[in-house]
Amino acid sequence: MTPRSAARVEVTVDGRPVLVRPGTSVAAALLEQGRWDFRVDPVSGRDRGPYCGMGVCLECEVTVDARPHVRACLERVREGMRIDTAASGEDT
Amino acid sequence: MSADTAAPAALTADAAVVGAGPAGLAAALELARAGLDVLLLDEQAEPGGQYYRRPGPEVLDAVGDHRPEGGRLVARVRAAGVRVLSGHTVWGVDDDRRTLLAASPGGAAVRVRARWVVAATGAYERSVPFPGWQLPGVVTPGLAQHMSAEGVRLGRRAVVAGSGPFLLPVACALLERGVRVVAVAEAGRPYTPGPASLGALRFPARLAELASYAARLARHGVRVHQDTVVARAHGADRVEAVTLTRFSDPERVVARHGVDLLCVGYGFRPQADLPRLLGCAVDRDPATGDTVPRLTPTGRSSVPHVYVVGEAAGAAGAPTALARGRAAALDILASSGRAPDRGERRRLAVHLASLAGFTRLTAALYPAPAELVPALARRLPGPTLVCRCECVTADAVRAAAAAEGGSDVPAVKGGTRAGMGLCQARECGPALEALRAGGPGTGTVPARVPLRPLPLAAVLELADTPGEDV
Repeated sequence: MTPRSAARVEVTVDGRPVLVRPGTSVAAALLEQGRWDFRVDPVSGRDRGPYCGMGVCLECEVTVDARPHVRACLERVREGMRIDTAASGEDT
Repeated sequence: MSADTAAPAALTADAAVVGAGPAGLAAALELARAGLDVLLLDEQAEPGGQYYRRPGPEVLDAVGDHRPEGGRLVARVRAAGVRVLSGHTVWGVDDDRRTLLAASPGGAAVRVRARWVVAATGAYERSVPFPGWQLPGVVTPGLAQHMSAEGVRLGRRAVVAGSGPFLLPVACALLERGVRVVAVAEAGRPYTPGPASLGALRFPARLAELASYAARLARHGVRVHQDTVVARAHGADRVEAVTLTRFSDPERVVARHGVDLLCVGYGFRPQADLPRLLGCAVDRDPATGDTVPRLTPTGRSSVPHVYVVGEAAGAAGAPTALARGRAAALDILASSGRAPDRGERRRLAVHLASLAGFTRLTAALYPAPAELVPALARRLPGPTLVCRCECVTADAVRAAAAAEGGSDVPAVKGGTRAGMGLCQARECGPALEALRAGGPGTGTVPARVPLRPLPLAAVLELADTPGEDV
């Protein structure tokens, strides 16, 4: 079962405040929110989500603190982090 | 948080080790203990690689640490004085074959010049395309394992498919997080007459682990289909269902399952592109079809100061990776006049040979990727996206491969853009190589600079960095 630990840190996902578990990757935090639409494939215009989980496929790229093209699977969440996915409308 | 500091733009070391998984950690530890100045570069937030990858301490407190020995090894590496540069992506090499070009976590340029280079760049999962593999919710088994280790329940209903021993622990990890695994589909027939036969083989102790996963799946009522592959993932914006068919009879549907998670992988491929950039001679592994560096038993490449260790030398598992890392380090120490214990080197050689026997035995249980991948690629329906980055279909790749003079892989890439996207053909590479008709030219995807997409600033800054005289 998904562990319940009391501690949470607040991050912003697409402009909305969200409480996530500290120590997890950005990808894990988004997936726990039920989010699989991390980016839009520029060729097909379709949603893409994390695939390899180890920094190879680049499908999980999001914008973190205004830094585009951050691999969500390799980045840890931090208190106050701003995470923007393709759904934020601020496509990079 | 890790205490690894930002690096200045130009660094030198006796040895630069690239990759902080089991092999890189073992090599770095051995070298540093003998008094060498060692730099260990790794692109992840913390050392550990894939095998010892750990979420942050808060998660470990809540979920538990499934591989505490990894944390202990990292602690010993730091205590031995190894300079660890986490979050650093090595993306190229300079002409001297001793200088690594890297990007710091902030995207700044870093040059590392070393007397010895140890490539411990690991492996990644072998993907074979199928219709719908680009849908969100279709992932590699490795992603499922990592996210489960982070405490995430990835979905409600999952199918785990592909080939190789890794599928079983991944299915167990999902179960542990409350995901209902409706089926495991293995392309081969390794568990015939049944999982119990595993214990009767020559390495019962090593295979006992696999047997225990199989037993756990049986207890949960998870059906393990053999000779079964994913034919198609269905869904609009997310995966909704999967069709499984017989590998030996593609027309025969084994099952259709509604799923919100589909994990598919066909074992591991060595990530040997850094050795290739360093000019190391490579060969095609006849069993896997993968490009592997040509190495001595202790990991020395055709470029005498470059060693390749761990999964990058050929996927063989963590115990082998640790032993290869140590063996290479002892070889380097012998070459630098620090005579390591002869007996120790002999013992390690015997240990490596025994591990190689186990690897061969395990591999023999499963279909050889060199045969499996082309068989799967040949039957792909025309509209299937072979290259998911650039959305290039099987039809387009086949047309390019059949074109006059278009049969080698670079020509197919150039003609279709397949393999020219963000992942640099790491996901579609096996299929691209399999769909090439043969004939003249190279049948392998070339190694390409930069090894990862990176901010332009990381390259431009190098132009302002004075190079050292070689």
